[in-house]
Amino acid sequence: MRNTLAALLLLAGLMIAGRTVIAHHAFGAEFDPNAPIKLQGKVVRLEWVNPHTWIHVETIKDGKPEIWMVEGGTPNTLLRRGITRDTVAIGTEVVVDGYQTKDHSLKRANGRDVTFADGRKLFMGSSGTGAPKDGRDATEGGTKPAPKKPGGR
Amino acid sequence: MRIIIALGLAVIASVGLIAQQAPGIAKPSATPRTADGKPDLQGTWTNATITPLVRPQNQPNLVMSAAEAARMEKSTIDRRDERNQPSDPNRPAPPKGGDGSTGAAGNVGGYNNFWLDPGERIAVIDGQFRSSLIIDPPNGQVPAFTPEYRARQAARAKGIAARGQYDHPEYRPLAERCILSFGPTTPLVPNYFYNNNLQIVQTPEHVMILMEMVHDARVVRIGGTHLPKHIRPWMGDSIGHWEGDTLVVDTTNFPPQQNFRGSSENLHVVERFRRADARTINYRFTVNDPTTFTAPFTGEIPFNATDEMIYEYACHEGNYALSNVLSGARNEEKRLGTKQEK
Repeated sequence: MRNTLAALLLLAGLMIAGRTVIAHHAFGAEFDPNAPIKLQGKVVRLEWVNPHTWIHVETIKDGKPEIWMVEGGTPNTLLRRGITRDTVAIGTEVVVDGYQTKDHSLKRANGRDVTFADGRKLFMGSSGTGAPKDGRDATEGGTKPAPKKPGGR
Repeated sequence: MRIIIALGLAVIASVGLIAQQAPGIAKPSATPRTADGKPDLQGTWTNATITPLVRPQNQPNLVMSAAEAARMEKSTIDRRDERNQPSDPNRPAPPKGGDGSTGAAGNVGGYNNFWLDPGERIAVIDGQFRSSLIIDPPNGQVPAFTPEYRARQAARAKGIAARGQYDHPEYRPLAERCILSFGPTTPLVPNYFYNNNLQIVQTPEHVMILMEMVHDARVVRIGGTHLPKHIRPWMGDSIGHWEGDTLVVDTTNFPPQQNFRGSSENLHVVERFRRADARTINYRFTVNDPTTFTAPFTGEIPFNATDEMIYEYACHEGNYALSNVLSGARNEEKRLGTKQEK
C-alpha cells in the first residue's frame, strides 16, 4: 500500500500538480506571478496552432472593449477527440483565470482555467468523455468520434 | 469455363504458397513481414504510459501485480475526471504572488487538464506490468553522475550567470525555440504530457521514425558506418541492422544542445525494435555516456498500435511564447533598472 501511494504521489508530481501542467516552455519565464487576472468575455478568435492554442477573448473595461489572448495547450490532443476550433462558436461567453505576461504592454495571459460562463471546462462540456487512449486495448480502436471538420482554414 | 479453371488453379497455387511459407514462422499472424521478409514495423504507434522512466522510491520490484496496476490506472483516470469537473464560475483571480505551482508551471499554473493526453495505462512487456521503464540497473534508477558531468554543469551555470538566459533567442532551450521536442528524440521515451505518437515507415535501406512531437523524422540508414564525428545532426546519426527479427539502431553524433537526462554529445544510444505481437512492438534502449553516467542503463517500453491519427505538430506557427519570454525579460529589466535597453 505504501508502495502504491509513493508511486501515485510520484506520478502525480511528475505529471501534473493540481490542474497545472508543463508545456514546451517554462511558464514561469513567460507569465508574471504578481499579475493575476480574471477575464470574462466573448471568444472572438481561436488560433488553433502549435505549440500553443491561443483563445482571443473580448472583455469590457471601463466601457471599452479589450482583446486578451489566452494561452492554451497543443490542439493535436483535442483534434484526436474530434474537437476542432469550430467546436466553440465565436461569441461564446467564457471565464478565464491566469497570470498576465511579464511584458505588461501585452494583453496576454495563460489560461490557467478556461471555462464556460457556467463553470464547465471549455472543450469538456460537449460530446465525448475526452478520455485519451494509449492503444494498449485493441478494442479501443474505432470508437473515437469522427473529426467534425479538419482543423485549419 | 477456362477462366474459372484458371482462377481455381491460381487460388490453389496461392494457398499452396502460404502453406509452404507457414512452417518457417511460428505464429504466422504474429509477425507481419515486408516484401523482403523482414518483420514489418510500419504503422502508427503510441508509447504513452503512466509507468515512469525511473522506479518510484519504495517500489522494490520491476514487476507489479495486475491488481496493483489496475488500482494505479483507476486512480489516474479518477484524478483526470476530478480535474475535468466544472469550476466555480464566480471564482476570483488566482492569488497575487503566484499559485504555488512548481516545476515548469513556475508558480503561475499551466493550463487546463483537457489539453493533456498522457496515457492512462501501466506499461506491459511480455505480460508483465512494469513499475519503471528502466530495467537495468535492477533498481530501476539512472546511474550516478560522473565528476565530469558535475564539472560541466557548474561551468554551464557559470556561463548562464555571465551572459543571462534571456538576451538572445539561441540562449533559450531547443524546445522553446521549437527546434526539437521537449522530450528527447532518442531514446523514444514518452513525455508524459501529450502527443506520444510515432509512425514508422520501412524500406530495405531505411527506417523512418516520425515523432509527433515536434514533427521530427529520424531516418535510420540500414548498414554502413556513422558520419564523421564533426557532423552532428539535431537528432544524432542513426544506423541500423537486423539481428534475426530484431531491428537494432545505433545512434551517436548528438549535438551538444541535445541531451537525455544530462547527457553530453558523447551520448550513445542502442535501440532494439522487436514485434511482440500483431499490435505491439517491444522497444528496448540502452543509454551510454561515460562522460555523464557512471554506468550504462537500459529500459523497455511497449509501443502499442493505435488507430488514432497523427497530426502535424508544426511548432512555431504560433510560438508567441518565445517572444513573450524575451519581451518579458526586457520589461523586467526596465522595471528593475538592471540593464540599459539595447
